[in-house]
Amino acid sequence: MKRGILIIEKLKIIKSNIRLLLGVIIISVIVSLGLLASYITWYQPLMAMEGPPYQPPSLQHPFGTDDLGGDIYTNVIYGIRTSLFVGVLSAVIAMVIGIMIGTLAGYYGGFIDDLLMRIVDMAFIIPQFLLALLIATILGPNIYNITLAIGVTSWPGIARMTRAMILSIKQLTFIEAARVIGLSDTRIIFSELLPNALPPIIPYIALQASSNVLVEAGLGFLGVSDPNVPSLGMLLNDAQQHILMNAWWMSLFPGIFLSLMILGFNLLGDGLIEYMNPRLRRAS
Amino acid sequence: MVSGFKMFIIRRIILYTALFFSVIIVTFLLIHLAPGDPTYILAGQVTDPEFIKAVRHRFGLDKPLYEQLIIYIENVLRGDLGYSYFRSEPVTKLILERLPATFLLVLTSMFIASLIGVLLGTLAAAKRGVVDSIISILSLLGISIPYFWLGQLMLIIFSMDLGWFPTGGMISLTTTYTGIYYYLDVLYHLVLPATTLAIFNIAYITRVTRGSVLETMSQDFIITARAKGLPERRVIFRHALRNALIPVVTFIGFNTGVLLVGAIVTETIFAWPGMGSLLYSSLQLRDYPVLLGIFIYGALIVITINLIVDILYGLLDPRIKRE
Repeated sequence: MKRGILIIEKLKIIKSNIRLLLGVIIISVIVSLGLLASYITWYQPLMAMEGPPYQPPSLQHPFGTDDLGGDIYTNVIYGIRTSLFVGVLSAVIAMVIGIMIGTLAGYYGGFIDDLLMRIVDMAFIIPQFLLALLIATILGPNIYNITLAIGVTSWPGIARMTRAMILSIKQLTFIEAARVIGLSDTRIIFSELLPNALPPIIPYIALQASSNVLVEAGLGFLGVSDPNVPSLGMLLNDAQQHILMNAWWMSLFPGIFLSLMILGFNLLGDGLIEYMNPRLRRAS
Repeated sequence: MVSGFKMFIIRRIILYTALFFSVIIVTFLLIHLAPGDPTYILAGQVTDPEFIKAVRHRFGLDKPLYEQLIIYIENVLRGDLGYSYFRSEPVTKLILERLPATFLLVLTSMFIASLIGVLLGTLAAAKRGVVDSIISILSLLGISIPYFWLGQLMLIIFSMDLGWFPTGGMISLTTTYTGIYYYLDVLYHLVLPATTLAIFNIAYITRVTRGSVLETMSQDFIITARAKGLPERRVIFRHALRNALIPVVTFIGFNTGVLLVGAIVTETIFAWPGMGSLLYSSLQLRDYPVLLGIFIYGALIVITINLIVDILYGLLDPRIKRE
């Protein structure tokens, strides 16, 4: 009987690992494509007249050519690099801001907590995408401003989660003990609270990256993208503008890789969260 | 006695009013965030000195910052969001003209998505096993595939290739329909954009419903209902689902902003004449007054829908009313 339960437990862990495994595989492939972009492509990104315009996929142009005769395969591979850069970096920015604000609110409580949580409330009323779009447009849409705009608009969920985590750990006896022996607030936060609060939160960076990649592509789709760097959203915008040419390859290939990237980050995030929070394993 | 429910609603209204004011302040900050003169953000890329002078005066840009803020708030509350230079029309008028089309799209797709999403989520939670796995995988795919790409593919396949549906717009331009045929024509144009938006939302609602029903099913009153010998179908639909719907309604409320943005982006694919096409063309022209206006109206819509959700919430869950 006990043995049976053990086996079932193990199978469940493997089942959650399958998601993790798939996520790791997909993201590794995507990251390799992005990193090796200049070695695995044979045209210049964003260059016109690499071939005749609107050519369907062929050996020279595996993903076809666009309205200006640019090679879509090259643009897609370089676009992956851009989406990864913006998605991951903006997720890191969101993580840092969210953890900082959540920790301050949870640890100090009272007025600081109230103030910070009202800001978080506000973020649920303001459509994040529109705010990122406005900030990026007003600052000027280059890749850094877009990253910044997405990063500073996507932290509230993380802040909320961190605050809840800090609140529950704050009540434990070892924090009490740290206070009694007179450790400073900074010391308690950095060497007692955060090391215990962060591990369950860190995996959410993958989910944040997944949603930030989607936001970046959405901005690009609406034409808010760095004109000097190819991005998957920009390619989909191109496809939209020339949709009546019925050049399905202009839309199909950027979209497949975009979906794969988002799926990969979702699997990675779900898998990591289950892996690091064993309590969830039983619930699912 | 003022019931707890009434107090609850009043407190929400106060909170939302405060939040709306902070949204206006954020917008004000955005205007001043821009490099260069904020006049250009309020007036568009205008060179006419007379017009610039008028805008500077109307928004008090020659006064100190805090006075500007007060003037700006007054203007927004009066519905004066500036003037679109490129269209030579007030921003509020431009947005209100396009609001009904956006609402039609949002509500239709929300209706379809809630219906199918709740059904699939309940099914996955009740059956478990293979059905659950299939539904879970499909919903994971659903949230991973960007809806604007999905819309593009549907447009290419169903309009361009198969010719089943129009390629865009809200009504046929070649023939003028009247009466019932007019509505049927709109419905016909609505199919692809509404489906695109619905698929994206179905995936989310399925996931939330599944989790919520699963949690409810393990509670005592379900065990009681089963012990009474009620048929399983009745246990699920009459007992579990009603309680499981509360988180689903909350979820929809919380994600109104996402839904609205989804609709706006979907509109640009199908040339649906709502706020989306206005946003897109204003982006191309850097028509800042219109962009800021869409932002403020977006927040206002999210607030309104959240208030409605709060009221629904009270109706669905009698515990809140009694509190």
